Amino acid sequence: MLQLENVSVFYSSFQVMWDVSLAVPDGVTACVLGPNGAGKSTVLKAIAGLVPVRGRITYRGQEISAWSPAQRVGAGIGLVLERRRLFADMTVLENLLIGGYRLAGGRRRARLSEVTTLLPGLQQLIDRRAGDLSGGQQQLVAIGRGLMSEPSLLMLDEPFLGLSPKAVDEVERIITDLGRRGLTILFNEQNVRKSLAMSQETFLLEGGRLIAHGASSDIAAGDIVQKVYFGTPRSQETPA
Amino acid sequence: MMSFAFLWEQVVNGIVAGSMYALMAIGLTLIWGTMRVLNFAHGEFFMLGAFLALTALLGVGLPLIPAVLVAICGVFVIAVILHSATIRPLMSRPGWDFSTIAATLGLSIVLQDAALMIWGERFQALPYFVEGIVHVLGVRLPAQRVLIVATVIAVVCVLTILIRFTRFGMALRAVASDAEAASACGVNTARVHATTFGIAAALAALAGIILAPIIAINPWMGVPPILKAFVVVVLGGLGSLPGAVLGGFLLGIIEAVGVTVFSSEWREVVALGVLILVVWLRPQGLFGKPLREA
Repeated sequence: MLQLENVSVFYSSFQVMWDVSLAVPDGVTACVLGPNGAGKSTVLKAIAGLVPVRGRITYRGQEISAWSPAQRVGAGIGLVLERRRLFADMTVLENLLIGGYRLAGGRRRARLSEVTTLLPGLQQLIDRRAGDLSGGQQQLVAIGRGLMSEPSLLMLDEPFLGLSPKAVDEVERIITDLGRRGLTILFNEQNVRKSLAMSQETFLLEGGRLIAHGASSDIAAGDIVQKVYFGTPRSQETPA
Repeated sequence: MMSFAFLWEQVVNGIVAGSMYALMAIGLTLIWGTMRVLNFAHGEFFMLGAFLALTALLGVGLPLIPAVLVAICGVFVIAVILHSATIRPLMSRPGWDFSTIAATLGLSIVLQDAALMIWGERFQALPYFVEGIVHVLGVRLPAQRVLIVATVIAVVCVLTILIRFTRFGMALRAVASDAEAASACGVNTARVHATTFGIAAALAALAGIILAPIIAINPWMGVPPILKAFVVVVLGGLGSLPGAVLGGFLLGIIEAVGVTVFSSEWREVVALGVLILVVWLRPQGLFGKPLREA
């Protein structure tokens, strides 16, 4: 289980996240929702160790708050960054191998074979320069790179951002499939309806604070999302 | 009128001088490409290499090759420690791009003063590593100068293999491309930065050692090469390894031919004039990538 207790994040002296506490059980697909600037990406970066935090983060019983990003990857936490962030001048193969940087040579090659079997679309891209790929292909590589470290928790920061509708469907299928295979998934996304449909648990952020959490079906049935995004509960909407 | 043979001799001399510029610029561009840090203390690693080799060879009495290896490894270790103690802590703070410039300028002064206290201000020299005259492309050259060019070629080959084909090289390229994304992949970026800084310093030390027989060893000997190295890095393109190598050779040749056409007083004017022209026509340098607008 991943657990955050009263986690706050500061960029220099500027606070962007206040006392966020949440828990994601193993094997669950969870999403973080919220309008722009709510702190969705910051939560994922805090868990991955990419921003300094105040508070307590534990993963599978171990406190990881003071661990480096590399140590957290070694503990099984993987992150696919927003806008893919591939190493554009490197090949797809090199991007994937960097994803498995902490694995020993033989294990890395074996993992590469597992990941390209899991995501067969990667095989035909393997020698291409990452910067030359389409958005959908890049997201496929980014997910493959995230999987290379053998994560037990995979976080995805806006995985559908900038993708064509066809690529969105493909990425959704991949994430759903990974969840069915037992991988714990935590993602954030602007598409509220799709996020609620894909996840079992939802955490709703506003202004850097967690304002609601629960089963995605319950969140979808209530008015809270409508209120956070549009300022009015669904029940008060004027009929067209 | 200038004969073709004389001009050719100047070009070959320029290649020799340029190889030293290239060796210094390679380290500088490696640090910039990986860490976005302008290292003003780079010239002092050049100086430390020469002094450590002098001490190991003439003070301790080690044979040439072990003395050179001890000096290079010594500078590598000193650079890694200095990086961890000064630059790394600054890089986690806002405004680090300026504070690291100040830190490396400070390091430069501290290292010069430390050398002054340890080795004194007396100018010293190493004996030639290789004696004799060699004929290269129809030009008579001291073997020591040919050794300098051969060393640069060997260094470029080794570095290319390191960067293109090793696990560390892949991590270095990833960190240079996007340090945060490399961190998210499990790469220890602090270790990559420290190692890169150490390798760059070791290259500067190597340049100082192989040049020590033909220039005077003193605490301030690193200042002129660092200025030339900055010119080469800008000429070749910040962060570009091929740019540093070719920029170094180009600057060396331009200087040598410029001196022949005009006079030795015009050496710097011709070199810097070409630099201004290149930067005016191609601001990113000969091999640099254009800066993207925000």
